[in-house]
Amino acid sequence: MTRAIPWLRIAAYLAAALAIVPLLAVVVLAVTRPASADMPLSLLGRYALDSAILAALVGVGTIVMGASSAWLVVMHRFPGRTFFAWALALPLAAPAFALAYGYADLLDVAGPIRTFIRATLGVEVPLDIRSLPGAAFVLSGAFYPYVYLTARAAFLSQSVCSLEAGRTLGVTAFGAFWRVGLPLARPAIAAGAALAVMETLADYGAVKFLGVQTLTTGVVRAWSVFGAPGSAARLSLVLMAAAAILLFLEDHFRRGQSFGATSARWRPLTDIPLPGLRGLGATAYCALLLGLGLVVPAGWLAFKAVSATPDWPAIGHAAGVSFGLATAGALLTVFLAGLIAFGARHDLVVKRIASLGYATPGAVMAVGLLAPAALLWQGFGVAATATSTGLILLVFAYSARLMASALGPIESGLARVTPSMDRAARTLGETETGALARVHAPLAQGAIWTAVILIFVDVLKELPATLILRPFNFDTLAVLADRYASDERLAQAAWPALAILAVAIVPTAFLALKVARSRPGAPS
Amino acid sequence: MRARILVAALAAFAVSTLGLAACGQKDAPGTAPANGAINLYTARHYDADLALYDAFTRATGIKVNRLEMDPDQLIERMRAEGDYSPADVILMADAGALARAQAAGLFQPVITPTLQAKIPASLHEPSGLWWGFSRRARVIAYDKTAVSPADVATYAALADPKFRKSVCVRSSDNVYNLSLMAALIEHWGHDRALAWAKGVVANFARPPSGGDIDQIRAVGAGACKVALTNTYYFLRIAASDNPGDKATAAKVALSFPEQDGVGTHVNISGGGVAAHAANRDKAVKFLEFLTSDEAQEIFAGANHEYPVVASVKPPADVESYSHFKADPIPVEVYGRRQAEAQSVFDQAGWR
Repeated sequence: MTRAIPWLRIAAYLAAALAIVPLLAVVVLAVTRPASADMPLSLLGRYALDSAILAALVGVGTIVMGASSAWLVVMHRFPGRTFFAWALALPLAAPAFALAYGYADLLDVAGPIRTFIRATLGVEVPLDIRSLPGAAFVLSGAFYPYVYLTARAAFLSQSVCSLEAGRTLGVTAFGAFWRVGLPLARPAIAAGAALAVMETLADYGAVKFLGVQTLTTGVVRAWSVFGAPGSAARLSLVLMAAAAILLFLEDHFRRGQSFGATSARWRPLTDIPLPGLRGLGATAYCALLLGLGLVVPAGWLAFKAVSATPDWPAIGHAAGVSFGLATAGALLTVFLAGLIAFGARHDLVVKRIASLGYATPGAVMAVGLLAPAALLWQGFGVAATATSTGLILLVFAYSARLMASALGPIESGLARVTPSMDRAARTLGETETGALARVHAPLAQGAIWTAVILIFVDVLKELPATLILRPFNFDTLAVLADRYASDERLAQAAWPALAILAVAIVPTAFLALKVARSRPGAPS
Repeated sequence: MRARILVAALAAFAVSTLGLAACGQKDAPGTAPANGAINLYTARHYDADLALYDAFTRATGIKVNRLEMDPDQLIERMRAEGDYSPADVILMADAGALARAQAAGLFQPVITPTLQAKIPASLHEPSGLWWGFSRRARVIAYDKTAVSPADVATYAALADPKFRKSVCVRSSDNVYNLSLMAALIEHWGHDRALAWAKGVVANFARPPSGGDIDQIRAVGAGACKVALTNTYYFLRIAASDNPGDKATAAKVALSFPEQDGVGTHVNISGGGVAAHAANRDKAVKFLEFLTSDEAQEIFAGANHEYPVVASVKPPADVESYSHFKADPIPVEVYGRRQAEAQSVFDQAGWR
């Protein structure tokens, strides 16, 4: 096994340290500040249970929606397949809070659907989106693309041999999915679902808007109502532990098992034509997913938006700020993630710890970010509170929060470098640095771009860190949407929310198309 | 190859950060004093406020740099900034939040003849740490077709068994509910307030969810008969051109509770000068501007709040809802009893 070069390794450790500063701050707060919030244990129990149920429901929901649609699109021919192959990933471009706005208004007791049903049928349908199942539904629709993308990539790179062997041994078409494709894609699906669940735990805007009370609610209450950051930090520890367990489980599933193809011969996958009604059924199913995840809530928001006059100068300024922050955030995060991925390649613990910020609830992250920021502000005085310092702080906060989202793809890109390639390079006279530069980096290049796009879109949608750390007059589109939503002006909030979608949808589509072309051996 | 990507990425990073900073500098002078600007931290999230700041800039030539966030975040951020906080003025939308900011030591006392002459004594902190600039009442919205005004003449009525499955409210950690509960505890004592909260919970038509406007619309849609709301949300719906809103406003009426008792629960929006303000004089000028006729008319006209300056006449729609007896309790109680209020809600099972 090759060892990473010392300087790179040190840089990797530094980058990882940077990512966990806010989390360490939470731990320090939890230990040093008194926990004075007066919250009954039964209440905390209910919060924890609701958090767990929500995470579980979203996990199952995204797996069912993501894996089934990925299999359908990879292995079958039906009307609209090439369109859905990339379009199914598009809900990723919409912030979850925007989808929550749309659904909450559409399905409100005074909204159009329930008013219509009441008027025509005279009954009240309990379509309550502001509930635990409702939130699970909205978030599953928003996050299934994580599973869809990873599962699709896995199905695309599966070996035809395994499938054919399966069919020879007598499994049905469904059996090929259930007993061959799915088990082989398990690590990829688990990785996608872990991302979805982590996003759920970390969500700030959507769950708050839908009024579901999770552990995050407890954190916010301890902090804001009881004025007890100590209690808030202790509750946060529970959530951070949950995140750590998730990351551990994801690794555990993968460890010691080989899911790779055994043969290096790549033949095109033979897709199964779905004639007639079955084909239309497949089309309808994909349309349903895309509809629930994006078109229906975003469409309703757009319809609402028409009734409000947008504040164009504010939206334009916010769009510029969002774009700049997202670019800076993406580049810095990917740079740091690259250092970690290359430098600490064999240090699983370092990589996992650096990923923790992603699953940490936004409200917790806000607690944790302020403590190191305070050191900076008070240590360096007036200069540190200036706009430029504020921006740099904010961009580093993005890195701490979103590191996992960049590490994931870069790591899997590097995983394509097999030990034998490594040795071949060394045998051919490359130094360790040379092997990194001329073998690893080029092979991981695609993955690096994927990471850049993912972080770019994530920063566009980011809310809590931006809210608490931004300098004066620096409202992003997400901040603008949140502001209107807090003032219960949904039609106004729709404009910046849809603007995020408009900016994010192009890179997301590009990403989805890229995955669609990713079969090894396919002409590039 | 890798080095090239690295250099390119770092260059792009530097350019985008610098570009952003420049774009910010252009209209955000940050902390630089003496350039004709004040730095405002505000927890108010109303569009009307932008009109307010514009009016101030027009009147004085002083620009307003604005940073908006939730009250708890705002307080923690200022704590973290400590002595170096760039804030000159702090505004909050609730007396409880003002009291918490006060407890965190974020204000400095300011007393001027103008402020004293225009703002009633019950609406500011005695030593001038913060001043109220607008008022709102927390009232009962009810279905005119199903409820008679006499049935909703008190807050206690919401716990009456005749409203079983008929009450819509938002969640208990909302600061407007917390302030109401703090006032009730002050008047009634802990035990009666808890019994009331339990009675209201037993009357819930649905679990608490949404904002005040959602509660009013739910009454309009017949999902419940009574709801708690701040006055300006109802007035906003009533002023809307949207047909759905018009129908809601036609079906729903407001009751100002406790007219025969202590008076309706009233809250304030207010603010003060930050403890470490670099631009104290301009900050004071800003506070005084908020009591001017022009500013008071914006509070009333654009956000349907009640002016605090007695001589200012609100527009007709706000005026018609402004003749009521207000609870004279000092608003600082809301902050002092906030944690206790949350505990009572939690014990009662009010989510």
